[in-house]
Parts: sequence; structure tokens; C-alpha cells
Amino acid sequence: MRRGFLLGTLGAVIVAVILAVAGCGAGQSTPQVAVYANTNQVVVFWDPSDSFSNEIIVLNNIYETLLRYDSVQKKVVPLLATDYSVSPDGLTWTFDIRKGVKFHDGNELTADAVKYSFERTIQRGKGASFIWSPVKEIKVLDPYKLEIDLKYPAPLDLIVASGYGAFVFDPAAVQKNGEDWFSQGHEAGTGPYQLESFQGTQQVVLKKFDGYWGGWKGPHFDKVVFQQVSEASTKVQMLQSGQADFVDALPFEQVGALKNNPNIKIVTTPSYQNLLGFFNTQKAPLNNKLVRQAISYAIPYDQIVSDVMKGYATQSKGPVPAGLWGHDDNLFQYSYNLDKAKQLLQQAGYGKGGFTLVLTYASGDEFERRVAELMKSSLAQLNINLDIRGMVWEPQWDLAKSPNPKVRQDIFLMYWWPTYADPYDFMVNLFHSESSINFNLGYYYNPAYDKLIDEAHSVSGVDREKAIQEYAQAQQMLVDDAPAIFFYDQQYVRVMRSNFQGYVDNPAYPHVVFFYNTYRQSQ
Amino acid sequence: MSVMDISSGQRRARLAALRYDLYLLRKNVLSMAGLVVVVLLVLAAAVAPVLAPYPADAGTQVHMSQQLLPPSWAHLFGTDEMGRDIFSRVLYGARISLGIGVFTIGLALLIGVPLGLVAGYAGGVVDEVIMRVTDVFLSFPPLLLATAVSAMLGPSLVNAMIAIAIAWWPWYTRLIRGQAVSLRERGFVEAARATGVSHLTIVFRHILPNAVAPVIVQASMDFGSVILEAASLSFLGLGAQPPEPEWGLMVSLGRNFFLTDWWYVTFPGLAILITVLGFNLLGDGLREILDPKTREV
Repeated sequence: MRRGFLLGTLGAVIVAVILAVAGCGAGQSTPQVAVYANTNQVVVFWDPSDSFSNEIIVLNNIYETLLRYDSVQKKVVPLLATDYSVSPDGLTWTFDIRKGVKFHDGNELTADAVKYSFERTIQRGKGASFIWSPVKEIKVLDPYKLEIDLKYPAPLDLIVASGYGAFVFDPAAVQKNGEDWFSQGHEAGTGPYQLESFQGTQQVVLKKFDGYWGGWKGPHFDKVVFQQVSEASTKVQMLQSGQADFVDALPFEQVGALKNNPNIKIVTTPSYQNLLGFFNTQKAPLNNKLVRQAISYAIPYDQIVSDVMKGYATQSKGPVPAGLWGHDDNLFQYSYNLDKAKQLLQQAGYGKGGFTLVLTYASGDEFERRVAELMKSSLAQLNINLDIRGMVWEPQWDLAKSPNPKVRQDIFLMYWWPTYADPYDFMVNLFHSESSINFNLGYYYNPAYDKLIDEAHSVSGVDREKAIQEYAQAQQMLVDDAPAIFFYDQQYVRVMRSNFQGYVDNPAYPHVVFFYNTYRQSQ
Repeated sequence: MSVMDISSGQRRARLAALRYDLYLLRKNVLSMAGLVVVVLLVLAAAVAPVLAPYPADAGTQVHMSQQLLPPSWAHLFGTDEMGRDIFSRVLYGARISLGIGVFTIGLALLIGVPLGLVAGYAGGVVDEVIMRVTDVFLSFPPLLLATAVSAMLGPSLVNAMIAIAIAWWPWYTRLIRGQAVSLRERGFVEAARATGVSHLTIVFRHILPNAVAPVIVQASMDFGSVILEAASLSFLGLGAQPPEPEWGLMVSLGRNFFLTDWWYVTFPGLAILITVLGFNLLGDGLREILDPKTREV
């Protein structure tokens, strides 16, 4: 009797719980929360003017830009600007600002606010502010019309669509709270989500902004959680249990293990991210072009693509990745050819090898590490000893910038992706001569190259065909001089729950999920 | 009694003492197990090139077509993500780990012991200065200090070993100073001083041999800790660099695979565990033998 009673009660409770849970799922009473597990710190800089790091995954949901680059159509589409026009000389750009847009504090968006935002970013001179260098003057024509005058022609439509340093924010918030207000963890954007809370650099919670100009019709998430999860195994477990909806990346071995899970969806998309290995062109023996070419021939590209990247990459052709305009499909590509490498080394007077090269890579990056190990194995056959050093980014970069050229590394592995969708970003940051070392980590110096790409950039706003031609010419110089190894253009492999819908990968905004477009499909 | 007699008598006594030491060691099952582990480890390290089925895998060789194979007769411990035989790499890793132990403890002793002797024997201001310096070092947790130093020196195995030695020597200084202080006032030291023996000779000929026993015990116990510490630094990316078959580094690289390919972390991890355990058990046994209080049966 007693036992039967207990079982009955238990059964009733279970039924009640199931009903309650089902009820919650069916109704709209519980908020829909999306969780994005990302490998890195989710916020480094809170200030929309200074942002130049991983926080773009958060800030692009809080702030908006005038235009957005659509990687599928390969053109810019309206966002805070409804339309724009450019003068024939490419120097005067006019933008129509969208009406009825509200900042999160309730103030209205006007052309003045846009002018203030851009000027503040330029004036602070931090992060990605360099994208504004072609700008001469910003003028407000009327409350919803903005004119930007340039010093020289430049693709301003792409610049204002940048995921870094082109955010529009509320001037009143800065004027009221002071310059440091953003950095303390505040925001004043127009985006679909507003900041609810954050914990250090590890977690940020956003909630939907009711006054968003796009409205909230249809399915959307009410809250979005960004969480730093560095351990790949933890990310896998979070995905499997439904604690995470989306992860930015996983080692390919683990991607394979998830393929048969019906609750998990794997999306592969092209990216503008490539891996380069910069040769120290200022230090023997790599100051010899023939040695650099020889090593370029000693890289097992196919093996790297198939066994390290598991096919989620293609061998690069020059510095501009496939899919981005300015990429040249006819460019020469080095292949794996040890005989050719030996021959070139002989010509250079290093036929016997017998020297050591120091390679630095970002410790913890499994792909870079495996590429380095394959290189070591291959170079050993040329009697070249590769000394591999995994370093944290800051010391690795500091070493590369060391005032004493003798202590710098010989080969520096680094990924690059553009600040905005423009080949110039690769060409200028990585290979243009620099008065103080920044990202030209091969210390490449070629005035003819500098002149060519600067010219290409200045015409790209008005005559893109000519720009493409000049960029191709400049890339030919790079391939011939071999200041870097062009390893591969990679694909992004995004792993998410099957019911996470509406996601479209946009390589112009790497790792960014525009959560406004996403929703959870009810089962 | 002739001189011969004395020396042969001494030798006999020493032999008897040694035999008694061994007897004590044998009597303790755990310390015997420790000894066996350590001996096996040294053997493994010594004959690694003979024993390892794929010696080249511990060097620059890679086989990308054989990535992450599970344990089999061809690969007892499976293969890693570069297709290398983990068994061969673990064997070669024994060489690295023993090398780390010998080098690091040796360096720490070389710094720590003379300083401790001088501090204890000289006393006064010299003692104060040396001991306050060691206090500064001891105020940091050893792993933290080693991490900081090795981050400063740049990532490499040698730098990691130097870093650990820098974090480790103060313990020996403190230990041996205590011994030296108590020995300084003993009759045989006073006698030596009275007969005009130089300070240097007194310190190294008379005090050191009598103070060394606890240091030996401590060093043998530390062997395991030092190996573990070096593995930790490698795990953090501050020690051994790929493709060195260092156990800590292997565990660090293998942890990405532990949900899908369990063997990668397991075997190097076990190697660390067994080695550290072995040295600790042996150290315990040695302490019991060398400590007069526990020596009496």
C-alpha cells in the first residue's frame, strides 16, 4: 500500500514537471537565450572607438555602422545609412542617414552623431582608427545628410562598413559621462542588443533593445551570452548538452567526431583569413632572396592542407585570400620541391645547409604548431635546423619589434584578416615599409612596391579595375621576392546546435554572429 | 695495530653499514618499489634507442598518414596527431626527464649548498644577508617564480631548468645552514680550528660531509617534484618546445584529443605519475635509512 502510494505520488510529480517544462517551451514566457562560446577573451576594449580585438563579436551586436559589407553579393548594403553617393573624382561621399533610429539611451540618431563618432575615433587615434586616414573633413549637410571629403580617393564605402573602428555611438553619452565612460564597461549604441551585465573579460550578457529600429517581429533571441571557453573539449561538451548554441572553432579532429550528432550542425565557409610565415629579410641567411625562395619550395603545402587543415583550406596564392576582390588566381604558387630548394640553396652559397632558423608562433595555436613541425621535418632534409618557439602573442610581437635586429626571429607565423574588406589591408599592413615596426614582420623594404600599392589604393574608390591590375603587379613582386611564405587561405568551420537558425557567415566580420538575424527553431 | 689494519677495518665497517642500509631498504616494500621504478627508468632512458621501435619519431620524423592511431602491436601506446609513435616518444622522454632532474637539482645544489654552509659557519652579518635573500626567494610559490623567470628568459627547456633551479636553491641553503649552525660548535670543528685548519677546509672537509645526509634525502625527494615542475612549465608552453618528446609537453598537446583519442594524454601522463611516485617513495626510504631516529630497528 505504502509503496504504491509513493510510486503514485512520484508519478504525479514527474507528470507535473514534464507539463511545466513543456508549457514553458510552448509559451513565450521564458526568454530565449543564445550562448556563444568563444576561444578568446570576449571583450578586450569596451570603447567603440578603440576596439581592435575580439570584442567585435560583442560590439557588432550593440553598435552599428553606416553600411555593411555583404560577402555573398560582394557589395555594401544599407544599415544606418539608407543610401550613399560618390563624386566622379572619388573625393566627396554623401550619406543619407536613416530616420527614426534610437540610441539605447533614447536619443535620436542624426548626422551630427555620426560625425561626432567618426571624429572621436580619429582623434583618439587608437585601434583601427587608421582606416580613416584618407578623410579630410566630415560635414553635416542637414540632420540626416552627411558629407565626407577625402584627401585622396579611397573606397570609403568599404571603410564605413568596417567591423572595427566605424561604429556610431551617442555623443550625449560621452559628453555627459566623460571620455573614459566606455572603457569602464558602458555602451551607447543603436544596435539590436544592449548591455545587461559582464564579468571581466570572460562573459558578457546582452538583452534585446525594445526600441530597435528594425523592430522585433518574428523569432529572435531575447538575450545573448558571450562566454570565453578556451578548452576545446569543454566547448564540445557544452554543444552536446545544449549549453552553447554556437562555437567559433574546434580542432578538426573534434569536428569529425561531432559529424554524426543530429543535434549539431557544422557549417563550413570561406574566410578572408590566411596563414603567413614572415622571413626576416634583414638578417642572414634570409636576407638572400634565393634562400627565401628555397624555403618556400621546402614547404609541404599539400600535406599541410590535407593533414593539418583536414581539407578546410587551400594553398594561398599571394597575400590576398581567395574570395576577396584583388585576389589574383593566375599568380605563381610555390610547390613542394626539395630538389629545386637544394638547387636554390646551392646558388645562394648555402648548399650544405648547416644553419639554424628560429621560428616563433602563437603558443596554443594547434595549426601553427603543426605547420611548424612539418616545416622542421622538411627543412631537416636540407640540413637546416628549425628551432620552434611557441610564445604568447605579446612577447612574440615584442621580440619581432626588438630594437636589436640580431635577436629577432627568423620566421614569424601569423594569421591575417582584413580590418575591412579590401586587399590594401593585406598589402599595406604586411609588406609596406614601416618607419617603426608594426605588422611588416618580415621587415620587407621595396619602394617600388610601396608606390604601386599606394597608387592602387588611391584609385580603388573610382577605378577598381585599375586597382586590381596594380595589386596583381604588386603581388607578383612579393611572390618573386618571397618576403613571406604564403601557406593557406583557410575556411572557417563553425559548429552550432541544429536548431540554431538564421546564421550566415560573413568573412568581412570574422567570428561575428549578428544575433538579430538568428533564432532557435522550436522542436 | 698497523695502518693497514685500521683501513681494512674501516672498510669492513663501511661495507657492513652499506649492507645494513640495503637491508633496511629491502625491508620497506614501498621504498623498494620506488627503487625499482627509478632503476627501470634509468634503464629505459639508457637503452631507449634499442628499445624504441621508431627512434626517429622522437626527432623530426613525422608520418601524416598515420595520425592518431589507437594502441596496437605496431604502436603500443598509439600515435599522436603527427603520426608519431607515442611509445617511442615516451621512452625518449625518460631521457629528457632524468636530464631535467639531474641538471636542475645539480644546479640548485651548486648554488644552495655553498651559500648555506657559509651562512651557517660564518654567522653574523653574512648569515643575515644570505638568509634574508633566501627568504625573498622563498616568499614566492616555486612554480610561480619559475614561471616568471622562464617567461623572462624565453621559452626553451634549458631556460625552464635554469628557472626551476633559481626557484629551488633556497630550500637547500636553509636546510644545510641549519646543519652547519649545529655542527659549528661541535668538538671536532673546534679542534680543527684550534690546530689552525683554514676556514675553507673546515667548511668543506669537516662540516659538509656531516651535514650532507638530509640534503641527499631532500634532493632525492625533489627529483620527482622538479620533473613535475618542468612538465608543468612545458604544459604552459614555457618549457620544452615541439617536437621534443617531453612528457609535460605531450600531455599539453594531447589534452585537445582526450575526448576522442584517450591514449595521447594517458601514456605520457602515466609516465609522469609513475616517475614522480617512484622518486618520492625512494626518497622516503632513504630518509628512514639516513635518519638515526628511524634507523634503529
